[in-house]
Amino acid sequence: MKLTDYIKIECIKTDLIAEDKEEVIEELVEMLSESMTCCGADVIYQAVMERENEGSTGLEKGIAIPHAKCDEVDRLRIVIGISREGINFDSLDGKPAYIFFLMIAPSSEAGPHVQAIARIVKMIGIEGFRENLIKAGNAEKVLEIIENIENGG
Amino acid sequence: MDSVNPLQNILLYVDGSESSVLATRMAITMAKAYGSKLRAVYVVNENLLNELLKAKIFVKVEKMDYERDIEDDGKRYLDYVKKLAEGKGVQLETILLKGVVYEEVLREAEEYGADLVIQGELGEVQSLKDSFYEEGEQILRKVSCPVMVVRGEEKIENIFEAL
Repeated sequence: MKLTDYIKIECIKTDLIAEDKEEVIEELVEMLSESMTCCGADVIYQAVMERENEGSTGLEKGIAIPHAKCDEVDRLRIVIGISREGINFDSLDGKPAYIFFLMIAPSSEAGPHVQAIARIVKMIGIEGFRENLIKAGNAEKVLEIIENIENGG
Repeated sequence: MDSVNPLQNILLYVDGSESSVLATRMAITMAKAYGSKLRAVYVVNENLLNELLKAKIFVKVEKMDYERDIEDDGKRYLDYVKKLAEGKGVQLETILLKGVVYEEVLREAEEYGADLVIQGELGEVQSLKDSFYEEGEQILRKVSCPVMVVRGEEKIENIFEAL
């Protein structure tokens, strides 16, 4: 599976305005719901927040992967947001998160959902990946960075 | 000299991907052509789920939940390939396993006495290190019988339709 099969250009934002955890999830979910008709923003927001309440998905080194299952969604959907200022996301290392990969999928797409999370975790480990995303500046560039990695570039 | 069927047992590895469907069609075609026994195996990648739990990306209850969903996916997928085979008059056994994917496929190939393992196209591998995570790659490298990696959609579709 390729991440880029699941990421639409209109679901990438490189200048998030949110200042805290709730706001950033709201901003990402809003972007996602505008790109599809199968499910409203409130349902997705609730699913993601319920998962966050079980434990933060803020990892180390400025990355967060908020995710949830939601059977109202038609298939795996991925949204990417980048904050220049950084946002407190109760991350594992206690530091602000700058890059957010929000993922939502129905139960019937659990396999691709888990594989997509694993692929992102693998990409995070690639030297320069995080830095390149943060300075990407626009959605096209973000997609290009991910595509290049997926195509072995 | 009596002729011996070189392909008595064919093991088909499926993972739910589109390329697995193609591999399934090829496996059914070969099983029918050679009169082989055919078994399809799907493995719930328990190792990956445990890694994500260890990395604190999953919480425990969530990991169990995803595991159950993937298992259900696997069952649905195996039912699908079984029906596909039956539609062509080929008997296909199914088996669902859990664990490290390539290890389970290797063990199953051994136990089944597979003469051939058939699988779909390999995923993109960005580095040698990545290849250790690519299950298809691992099966290809380590299984002790011949392996067929299936590609060429149009050709296979044509053969399968004519079957």
